[in-house]
Amino acid sequence: MGSEDEAGLVARTMGGDRAAFGVLVERYAAQARRVARSVLGDPDEADDAAQDGFLSALVKLAQYDATRPFGPWLMRIVANAATDRRRRRQVRRAEPLDTALVGGGPRPDAQAIRSELGDRLRTALAELPERRRTAVVLFDVEGYSHAEIAGILGIPEGTVRSEVFHGRRRLRALMADWKE
Amino acid sequence: MIDHEKFDHRPDPELGKALRAALEPAGDQGAFVARVMAGYDAALERATVPTWEVLASWSRRGIAAALAAAVVAGFLLGRTVFQPASADDTPATMEAAMAPPEGPGLTALMTANDPPDASIVLTSLVEPR
Repeated sequence: MGSEDEAGLVARTMGGDRAAFGVLVERYAAQARRVARSVLGDPDEADDAAQDGFLSALVKLAQYDATRPFGPWLMRIVANAATDRRRRRQVRRAEPLDTALVGGGPRPDAQAIRSELGDRLRTALAELPERRRTAVVLFDVEGYSHAEIAGILGIPEGTVRSEVFHGRRRLRALMADWKE
Repeated sequence: MIDHEKFDHRPDPELGKALRAALEPAGDQGAFVARVMAGYDAALERATVPTWEVLASWSRRGIAAALAAAVVAGFLLGRTVFQPASADDTPATMEAAMAPPEGPGLTALMTANDPPDASIVLTSLVEPR
């Protein structure tokens, strides 16, 4: 995805071009939903946060620097939307995060194994502090650089490296008995 | 998963793939996009107030302002029409306006056969009426 192309899409969106905004949403929908889910855990709530992020980005488009990549800018807004939602949830009800992550029901073997792995990973992710798991997801899943993640999370690059390192190590420890 | 206890700057493809699968949204992507676009439309609708609503919001204040303006205009017009003219007012007729003001300097200027002396002209101009 070329940043120049995205700058054009952003300019068209600001000019009221609905289709251009639609292209941006389609392009980043999956990523935004994953990032929001890494923060919130619950997939439905993550979708709400991702939607909040897109619409919030729409309002803030004038603040976007077209010379820089659009993805990190958008992901910062999405991550903030998810964090805000999580804070509001914590105020509403003081219960552990991500208890509703595990899917249920019998499945065929291969799918069941994948599902179980997913459940284990989500549970393991939920044990990490929010910033740490978001850093791991942005780095290992979404492929952002440490510098870009630093911009997204609003923390120093060195802290991102540390968060990714400790996050990975904790995930590996939690998943150590998987298929072994 | 790559087993590195030491710091590694590179993404871990195996961990990344597994996490991606674990975080993959359950619902349809198209449905999500449609939902966001519906939010876009709703936001746009909220931001665009129909013209008739704007006019309606203006009408109450507009009517009040028009009434106030009419009262003030009526008052000023009535005061002008019914006010008696004073002696110092400007002439009411064209003849009066065009009549030469009285005064010896001007009379001499108008009745003389010779061209006027410059001092007389200037005197007539500066002479108080």
